[in-house]
Amino acid sequence: MNCESVTKLIPLYFYGELPPEEEDRLEQHLDTCAACARQAESQRALSAALDRREMQPSAALLGECRHGLMRAIYRHEAPLLRPVQPAPPWARLHNGFGAWLPSLGGWRMPLGASALLALGFVMARLTTPGAGGPFNLASLTPDVISSIRSVQPAHEGGQSGEVRIVLDETRQRVISGQLNDSNIQRLVLAAAHDENNPGVRWESVDLLQSQSDSSPVRELLLNRVAEDPNPGVRLKALDGLKTYTGDPEVRKVLAQVLMHDDNPGVRIAAVDALTAHADDNMVGFLQGVVQKEDNTYVRRRCVKALQDMNASVGTF
Amino acid sequence: MAQDAPGVGARLSPKLDEANLIRAVQRGDQDAFEQLVRAYDQSVLRLAVNLLRSQEDARDVFQEAFLRVFRSIDSFRFDCSFHTWLYRIVTNICLDYLRKRKVRKEEPAVVDTPEGPLDRMNDFEEEAAHADPERNMWNRQLSQRIEGALGGLTPRERMVFELRHYQGLRLRNIGEILGTSEEAAKNCLFRATQKMRAMLGDFQ
Repeated sequence: MNCESVTKLIPLYFYGELPPEEEDRLEQHLDTCAACARQAESQRALSAALDRREMQPSAALLGECRHGLMRAIYRHEAPLLRPVQPAPPWARLHNGFGAWLPSLGGWRMPLGASALLALGFVMARLTTPGAGGPFNLASLTPDVISSIRSVQPAHEGGQSGEVRIVLDETRQRVISGQLNDSNIQRLVLAAAHDENNPGVRWESVDLLQSQSDSSPVRELLLNRVAEDPNPGVRLKALDGLKTYTGDPEVRKVLAQVLMHDDNPGVRIAAVDALTAHADDNMVGFLQGVVQKEDNTYVRRRCVKALQDMNASVGTF
Repeated sequence: MAQDAPGVGARLSPKLDEANLIRAVQRGDQDAFEQLVRAYDQSVLRLAVNLLRSQEDARDVFQEAFLRVFRSIDSFRFDCSFHTWLYRIVTNICLDYLRKRKVRKEEPAVVDTPEGPLDRMNDFEEEAAHADPERNMWNRQLSQRIEGALGGLTPRERMVFELRHYQGLRLRNIGEILGTSEEAAKNCLFRATQKMRAMLGDFQ
């Protein structure tokens, strides 16, 4: 083994990647060659310096990443999920708006804003010179929102000059009814998932609070607490669960919220909801939260809750 | 670290071995997917943070990698370990980031300022510095030189070095992850260490 080959092998030796026999031969060479021994020492010093720059991601960053991933999946990938039994409480809701629609009979939900062209747009197109024909503009009433599905010649070859325009029309309709009417409730439940409009979600959750004894409503509230991107909606949903803080399913979700929600106000509300129901099993969990929580107010709230339970704040 | 919330896990599938867990994910079991993510996500995040030295980029890599896993888990055929399959995805994404940086000639994590060298990751490291007072003694100039030396590696050399030095993977496994031979991974590691020793000179 000469110095040139040893130079090439030093990194592998250092990382334990040499076969035992080769390692023995290299060590024998290092014992007798000062220049190669210095190279080995240089490798060791480099490694020590590099060790010191290693970073361990914080628990907070890991938590953020996990939370962000699950949100992204529930928001955008839900159709790929095929819930198995028993399904999580909100699994049925992950399919969003569409899941509710088949059972609504003739009621039609407004389409997504991006898919729509306002009536004015259609009117502008149809009132241009020469766009008369059999189409009756009067049939477009202000409560109809239309989008153009296709435009094509009315006859093969397109020689006649006649065109065929297919419009999708969504009729706006005002529906009133009692919230305990199952059809009304389904619509409000669907509206609570309208990802384009947090105001509609907030109003829907607010309305549904009075129906939290209904299982679908409770599942919706749990879903919104855990998944809604808007903290106001999450707080409102949490508010609606206050009478169910003894329910193990609700407690499980609230505990997750306390650990992972990025909004301190929501975490404080979660502590309050969890500690409103006496439960000695909470001691260890709250002690853990005190250790990791970086918000002073949330931590204080947990400490107070532990003191109210006559429990120590730290773990031993 | 906080303890698990009381009752959390009660709804999860019973502890499954990895192959069963993957099959459960392939059937669309969300809980199994979460379990699978949690088995690997710390090492994935550590790799991204150390390679890219940017919380934002590491967060993006984390999300993109596991979303790709989620979307393509059906194509996983058990012809390699899940770890290797996952790391192929993660290293591909990280290599893209490193290559884009090379093309844009982005500044390294440590940059010169009128007040002296500034480590852009200082805020990120604050927590660790409190935990380890020795960290505060870390020589900023040396830190700058090391970052410069690492920045001088090709993305592939950087990756091999990262996987061997910080992730502790064997070179054979690294070759498998990067779609190359063990021999090529060895050569890559040799080049990486030689370059760094040459660039850092007698810093020790």
